[in-house]
Amino acid sequence: MKDERELRIGGEPVAPEAGWSFAWVDRRHGRALMRRDERVEAILVEGGPMAWVVTVRGRRIEVSALTHRDRLLAETAEQGRRHHGPAEVRATLPGLVVRVSVSADQEVAEGDPLVTVEAMKMQNEIRAPRSGRVIAVEVAAGQTIASGAVLVRLADPDP
Amino acid sequence: MTPPFRRVLIANRGEIAIRIIRACHELGIEAVAVYSEVDRDAPHVRAADRAEPIGPAAPAASYLSVDAVLAAAARSGAEAVHPGYGFLSENAAFARAVTAAGFVFVGPPAETMERLGDKLAARQTAVDAGVPVTPGLMVSTDQAAPADVEAIGFPMMVKAAAGGGGRGMRRVDRAEDLADALHLARHEALAAFGDGTLYVERLVVGARHVEVQVLGDQHGTLAILGERDCSIQRRHQKLVEEAPAPGLAPETREALAADTRRVARAVPFHNAATVEFLVDADQRHWFGEMNTRLQVEHGVTELVTGVDLVAWQLRVAAGERLAPEVTEAAVRGHAIQARIYAEDPWHGFSPATGRIGAWEMPAGPGIRIDSGSEADLDLPTEYDPLLAKLLVHAPDRDAAVARLRRALDETVIGGVPTTLGFHRWLVDQPPFVAGRYDTTLVADLWGDGPPLTDADRSLAASAVAAAAAHLAPPPSGSLADASAGSDLAAGRAWARLGREEAVER
Repeated sequence: MKDERELRIGGEPVAPEAGWSFAWVDRRHGRALMRRDERVEAILVEGGPMAWVVTVRGRRIEVSALTHRDRLLAETAEQGRRHHGPAEVRATLPGLVVRVSVSADQEVAEGDPLVTVEAMKMQNEIRAPRSGRVIAVEVAAGQTIASGAVLVRLADPDP
Repeated sequence: MTPPFRRVLIANRGEIAIRIIRACHELGIEAVAVYSEVDRDAPHVRAADRAEPIGPAAPAASYLSVDAVLAAAARSGAEAVHPGYGFLSENAAFARAVTAAGFVFVGPPAETMERLGDKLAARQTAVDAGVPVTPGLMVSTDQAAPADVEAIGFPMMVKAAAGGGGRGMRRVDRAEDLADALHLARHEALAAFGDGTLYVERLVVGARHVEVQVLGDQHGTLAILGERDCSIQRRHQKLVEEAPAPGLAPETREALAADTRRVARAVPFHNAATVEFLVDADQRHWFGEMNTRLQVEHGVTELVTGVDLVAWQLRVAAGERLAPEVTEAAVRGHAIQARIYAEDPWHGFSPATGRIGAWEMPAGPGIRIDSGSEADLDLPTEYDPLLAKLLVHAPDRDAAVARLRRALDETVIGGVPTTLGFHRWLVDQPPFVAGRYDTTLVADLWGDGPPLTDADRSLAASAVAAAAAHLAPPPSGSLADASAGSDLAAGRAWARLGREEAVER
């Protein structure tokens, strides 16, 4: 069954258990009830069809539901990103850019500070994930950025 | 009772704006909200009687803009301005400007903020008043006598003199880390407060953060309204607060109250403030700072004393005297507050943005919710990620912990990660249940959070299988169809879940 979706949590395959019954309470918001024997669990089920989030007692559990083919494609893309070609360095948190330490065309080594972002009321240095040349700096000091915003673009190191 | 004011402008947003609007309404005061462009339809705007725009989303251009807030106050015809907490609440220049423009500032006088807003001046005020402080030293430049700084002893805390809210604060354990810590803290302090002055103090390891609530009227009367323990913190920011502080010896409680009175008497004080102390395992205590504003955690004091702190802020601002019900208020029962932030506790409590999905708050005996959020609300990235404060009140601490556990089980928030899972974990931890913990609990006991149990993994997988089967009925290639033909146990369970769900309906 090549096309069957496999459930994984934290990269580890996980099997559903038999015996549960399921009902939506508020489908738009993902509220659901799971019952088995006398046990009732009020949970949230959000997302789908490939990436789900189930919330149990306030804890969000990310569940992926990928086919074998989906998984191979994702792994290949990830390896490509890591080793070759341009890289985008993104903000992992929303915050305020307080300092930009590099400029375009500058060579950087892995671990060099690129941008300092104030987030969580702390200053965090965003460092180069690998060596390479800075193609573009996409932010300026004083700018407010969203989580996931591209900060700096890196090219391969010059041969 | 005559309302203390006819109309009050609330220079804040979110849950605290709603909290103040509620107090206004109970006192017969018209409440004026202010809003930035992204907050046009926010819950605090809908709760108010009137609303004034104050500019773009960036706080510096709206909620932190003295000019914008004063212009809104003038347009609204308000008589007084309540700053809430955060934003302009401890800005002496703002307090002065409000008064100069002919409004009443609902908070301590500007002189008090100036004397206490600078942490070094505050420490000196405490020393002069005979209140103990931890050994410390001011550092005005990066080069200032490293030997003198090191002489304070390790571990030490680097703090911004103008600071608050954990900004510019760093723990330093070794002399070789000192220069870096001072450098980073100075940048944080400059960015946050425009003032890079730092001070260094000896860190009291294993201390509890205990603070005392004080109210004062303009006729010289003070009311000490008990203490709160705020030791459950991450990044020096509070997650859980309770009143009274567990495990405090009666003589320590009296000493904290007496020292609070000394500090409040040492400055020209009225309205509401909090004096923070560190209390160690031997019940020794040291003055930390005085916050000249309403605190996020004021509600636990309200629950155990029955005193409405916000209402009394408004009443004393209008010149009323504190009533005996305030000055003689006794502490009854136990209250705990859990702060529900849009943060992921399993990823270093990193703030999250996005859109809230499901939103169900607990109810029933002894529950209070202070919130400015709701279902389907987009969370602005510009502001504090506090979604709601869940407060419980019960006859004693054990009952309060049980009530909090019950309330957390009723609470549902979707769409974004929250601190709910942390709180649900906390109420089952023996040190918390026993009331024997200090500021190291989160770092030592939580760490990166407990691993997922097999039962929860399995429940989550079963839920996804069932939801997928339910959402994708038969067409070929669908989940349910693919799994129905599978020999795998997982596939059988998957299909069976779909069938059972159908029967259930």
